Amino acid sequence: MSSTTTVTKPPKARPTASTVDILNNDTARIYTHIHPILVLSLYVFRFKPIVADPVPTLLNTLILLGILQVAYVSVCLPATGTASTPSVVKPGARKKPGPSKLESNVQGRIIPAFLSLLLSTMVGTPLIGIMLILFGAPLTTHFPHTFLCAAHISLLASIPLIYVHGVDGERWREIVALLLPIDEVFGAALGTFMGAWLGAVPIPLDWDREWQKWPVTIVTGAYIGFAVGKLAGGLLFKGRKISFN
Amino acid sequence: MDDGESLPTYEGLAAAFAKAKAEREKEEAQGLRSRTVDAKASNKQGELHFKASHGLLIAFFSWILLFHLSGIYLFTRGFLLTRLVLEQKSQCSMSPTALTNFYEPGSTDSGCWHPKSFDKAIVIIVDALRYDFTVPFQPINSYDKPHHFHNSIPVLYETAVQRPNNAFLLPFIADPPTTTLQRLKGLTTGTLPTFIDAGSNFAGTAIDEDNIVAQLRNAGRRIVHLGDDTWHALFPGYFDANLTRAYDSFNVWDLHTVDNGVSEHIFPLLHPSNTSKWDIIFAHFLGVDHAGHRYGPDHPAMTVKLKQMDQIFRQMIELLDESTLLVVMGDHGMDAKGDHGGESDDEIQAALWMYSKRNFFGRTSSKYHKPPSTAKERPIAQIDLVPTLSLLLGMPIPFNNLGAPIEEAFIGASGQDYKNLALVSRLTAAQIHRYQREYALARGLDNNARSSSLALWTAASEAWDSIIKIKKPSQKHWLEVFSSFSAYQIETLSICRALWARFDITSMIHGIEVLAAALIILGVYARGLEGDRTELTPPLLLRGMIGTVLGALSGAVLGFGIPSFPLEHTLVFCTAVGGGAGMLSAFWYIRRRLISPLPNTIWGWVGVIFTTLLSIGFASNSFTIWEDEILLHFLSTFGLFMLLSSLRQTNLTDRALGWYHSILFIILTRVSSLSRLCREEQMPYCKSTYYASATSSTSATWQLAIPFLIAFMLPNIIRSYYKGTRSYQGSAVLWIGFALRIGLLLSAAFWTMDAADDGDWFRGSGDALKTIKVIIAQIVFAIALAAGYSTFAWAAPLLSIETKSKMRAKDDGDPSRHVVSESGSSSITILGYANVHGSRYGLLITMWLLAIILVQKPMGGGAIGLLGWQIFSLFEIVDTNKLSNTPVGPLVLGLLGSFHFFKTGHQATLSSIQWESAFIPLKSIKYPWSPLLVALNAFGSQILCAIAVPAVVLWKQPPKKKGLLGDVAKAMATHLLFYAVINLATTMWAGWLRRHLMLYRIFSPRFMASAAVLLVVDAVGIFIAIGGTRLSFLSIAEVFGWS
Repeated sequence: MSSTTTVTKPPKARPTASTVDILNNDTARIYTHIHPILVLSLYVFRFKPIVADPVPTLLNTLILLGILQVAYVSVCLPATGTASTPSVVKPGARKKPGPSKLESNVQGRIIPAFLSLLLSTMVGTPLIGIMLILFGAPLTTHFPHTFLCAAHISLLASIPLIYVHGVDGERWREIVALLLPIDEVFGAALGTFMGAWLGAVPIPLDWDREWQKWPVTIVTGAYIGFAVGKLAGGLLFKGRKISFN
Repeated sequence: MDDGESLPTYEGLAAAFAKAKAEREKEEAQGLRSRTVDAKASNKQGELHFKASHGLLIAFFSWILLFHLSGIYLFTRGFLLTRLVLEQKSQCSMSPTALTNFYEPGSTDSGCWHPKSFDKAIVIIVDALRYDFTVPFQPINSYDKPHHFHNSIPVLYETAVQRPNNAFLLPFIADPPTTTLQRLKGLTTGTLPTFIDAGSNFAGTAIDEDNIVAQLRNAGRRIVHLGDDTWHALFPGYFDANLTRAYDSFNVWDLHTVDNGVSEHIFPLLHPSNTSKWDIIFAHFLGVDHAGHRYGPDHPAMTVKLKQMDQIFRQMIELLDESTLLVVMGDHGMDAKGDHGGESDDEIQAALWMYSKRNFFGRTSSKYHKPPSTAKERPIAQIDLVPTLSLLLGMPIPFNNLGAPIEEAFIGASGQDYKNLALVSRLTAAQIHRYQREYALARGLDNNARSSSLALWTAASEAWDSIIKIKKPSQKHWLEVFSSFSAYQIETLSICRALWARFDITSMIHGIEVLAAALIILGVYARGLEGDRTELTPPLLLRGMIGTVLGALSGAVLGFGIPSFPLEHTLVFCTAVGGGAGMLSAFWYIRRRLISPLPNTIWGWVGVIFTTLLSIGFASNSFTIWEDEILLHFLSTFGLFMLLSSLRQTNLTDRALGWYHSILFIILTRVSSLSRLCREEQMPYCKSTYYASATSSTSATWQLAIPFLIAFMLPNIIRSYYKGTRSYQGSAVLWIGFALRIGLLLSAAFWTMDAADDGDWFRGSGDALKTIKVIIAQIVFAIALAAGYSTFAWAAPLLSIETKSKMRAKDDGDPSRHVVSESGSSSITILGYANVHGSRYGLLITMWLLAIILVQKPMGGGAIGLLGWQIFSLFEIVDTNKLSNTPVGPLVLGLLGSFHFFKTGHQATLSSIQWESAFIPLKSIKYPWSPLLVALNAFGSQILCAIAVPAVVLWKQPPKKKGLLGDVAKAMATHLLFYAVINLATTMWAGWLRRHLMLYRIFSPRFMASAAVLLVVDAVGIFIAIGGTRLSFLSIAEVFGWS
């Protein structure tokens, strides 16, 4: 999927990024609302074991989260490069000779989805892990905790982003600089990060609760932020742009 | 270019012109040649105008400082209650009053002022033993069921009822704050607690007031202590080293270690073969308190704990001999959740029980045989223990005592010995009278405040005089004497309570109002004015000053006229009200220039939200404790925002520079955060790295590498920020490249010698080493401030002029080269033009950087070095993101200053003040230098950041930009606004939470820290930072003229 976007690099006349729409079919429209419920239920279901024994449980949960996210992007979202064309298939063009439906699904959706998962785990996780440490995560201890936390944040935020936007450098600058218009994918990513940020708030409180331990609150914040951000980005703020000045 | 080529003859002319112009420019830059007459006159005017505006600016900010000072004064006056600690100790041979023919004083064997009753005593504190734990449960309604804490420790009540001559049980009322440390002070000195016992040593907790433990030790009694180690902080070295066993009191989750340890060691001591080894045992059980903290009182664990105590006391009663007094008491109670510290009934109602094998105790009435069923009946004060125990053991009553002897212990088994009661009551009252006289003398109080108690004293003395004339006084006579002396004691106690233990709410509220008014004024000035602040300062200042003077006058009239108004309070408050009103009218006068001070950009909102979040957090003890980590989180977030903002820039250079410095900023923040000094409350989740170990206050050997690293790297780093705009020339080369580096090297040498001195590396050369290191420190100060300020005052702007052939000059498009003249084939460029203001003012930052690094320990020096680096990075970020008009720069500097306060080995606690920094360049205490040095150490980071504020708006600004001074004023006002908000928040929280458990440990020190920081930053911002801009602006105007 990277070939389409990285090879053709127009010097200046690139189209500015537009909002990402859900694929124009019923399954996509329904599943996009079921997905956050599934993700949250997964987390609620795994919450107690995560508190009790974070490292192995976070790892197990990560696999399930990866599956859910891959399913979500391949069912609901337009893969990178196809964003503007999914709904303009003309009625007569259906019988065109080409790859079978299954084949096109595998090539056009499943493979990009798994590539997103791979990139999100291999590139996103270390970057976010370093960010967590820079923000005050323990430097000398709790490495598995920190990086599993980073992996959860990365899978929540970056799989849909990579799937939709590819790996174009300029596009990613726009993403990081918050220059994209808000949509449900971008909103979910923003929400995940803001939730993780807010998740640090209860840590210092002297409530002596088991769940205050690293990194439970951060992961919890990220999950809630993902769901809220996805909803708000898809409905409330769709198309708006963030302005700093 | 075309002209030059087509007219070759002209080329020579152009070159000549260029050369002449360059020469003139150069001479002018160096001040060699005066300008033309016209320009000279207008320049003179410009300079005058600048000096006037600058002076008014200083005056305006000083007025704000005065406002802050008044508010803090008013609040502190009502909040920080102080009591003078008198040094005097009671002497065995010096009775407070003539003893007439009843007793001969002076022998500890028979009793100092009064015959003693017991040779030995076991004093047991059951932490948090509430009174209702000890009496049988009595249902008020039929459906009331006993709780877990009821009926579990019946031994005290049983003995008091069954054998009233051997035991009594009474409610024992604590004076708040009901924390163990404060309570132990009250229980041993007999006086009331206040926050600051003036005269006592801040750094240590040891009691230096006269107290019963010290009296016992001075009389040669062997004292054993078992249990809570708080005693050792209060009475270091008082206890018999072989028999004493102390246990950590901190782990409230551990219910049994302390109790089991105490009972394991106390019973062998009671064995007849061991009783000769000790005279007094103080035992302190913590299990009941910990069970309360952990589970609350109504929990089976509490039953278990109380039953264990019950068992221990039953065993003790059996083992006790006749000459030993057994005392059991709670130092405070606990609330429904099992916590304590405040002043609710449940927290202050403890129990006191005394037991003796002899028939010793009595009751004045048969109604009193049963212990009171609630703590509301016949309560006694905890300070009453001190005179009672002192007299029973034959000790003099401690000098500061305010308590009264307990009736039951002196009335005799018959309950009729009123003579004895009157005698001890007179002794106690006489000691209180002696203390009050000394206190009034020491404090310079007049007798008005205690006229009522003096009258009672006279009456009691007359009653005494009359009774000694009677041959055979009756019980009734003695009862009268007793009552009159105890009336005196009660009255004196209530006067002292009013003096020491009550907050003056009016004064506190007035203080908060004044601080809030100052905040609003500063907020409007910083963010709510349109245009150049230097234009608006004169009317603001004028009206503000008129208001202030009128306010002061009316305050003086009111204060002198109405005697019930305290003069200082009225004067200060009216002055502030007048000033506020004057400023209000000034705002009305310039109303067309007012805009909403609320932000209208994301950057503005981020600033408001983060400051507010921090302020709200100070209402919670946890967020106050973890402030250092929160600041790290906030600073990283700001770094991230700056990174995102940099990536949005369209100019590629700006973008690259911006994100490079943003990432650098984040990383440097995290690296600095590795330097930590944990406060007690952060344990066990924090590891101190500031010193060699958690229990030392000296640096580890490896940390000595840090100052050397700083000396080698920091000048180069700063140089790189100057080189970027080609400003590294002129005085900067000498100052940064040479003087700063030498200064830093000497500072490193100082700290190495300091370590050598501490560690005694060179035996016998300690004195020589001390002398040399002090001289080195003085040299560093001379470099930083004397040489530094001379350089800063007289340096020309960091510019140089370059004549180049046109071909080369054209193509680099570098903003730091300003092309002055472009005729002919060569051009004249001024190097360093782009950052003439920033680089010139920046010298001031580096001077103070050197001075502050010297007074920090090696680790702290490293943190300040990183801070310097971060400050220059911030300038670049603010410039590349075009943020100099937003509050970001001053705000981030505020956060940085607060953050590095923690990174230089400080916490918001009194114990973290590094007093020894007064001795870095001095051998003995010298005023005013010693306190200034401690302040430079404690608030070094905030001072450096305040000095850096003007550079945020001066960095890379064109030399002739209009309104730069107004921008400096705006930035400084914003910076002060940050600290003013924090100060107001911590002040309000400290006032609101004045009865909070953690007031003395957390909220009050945090309030004091923020008040001190605000005043220091005010002063530094006004006199060093804004004051410094005068020199740098004048120097730049020498070259570029006044526009």
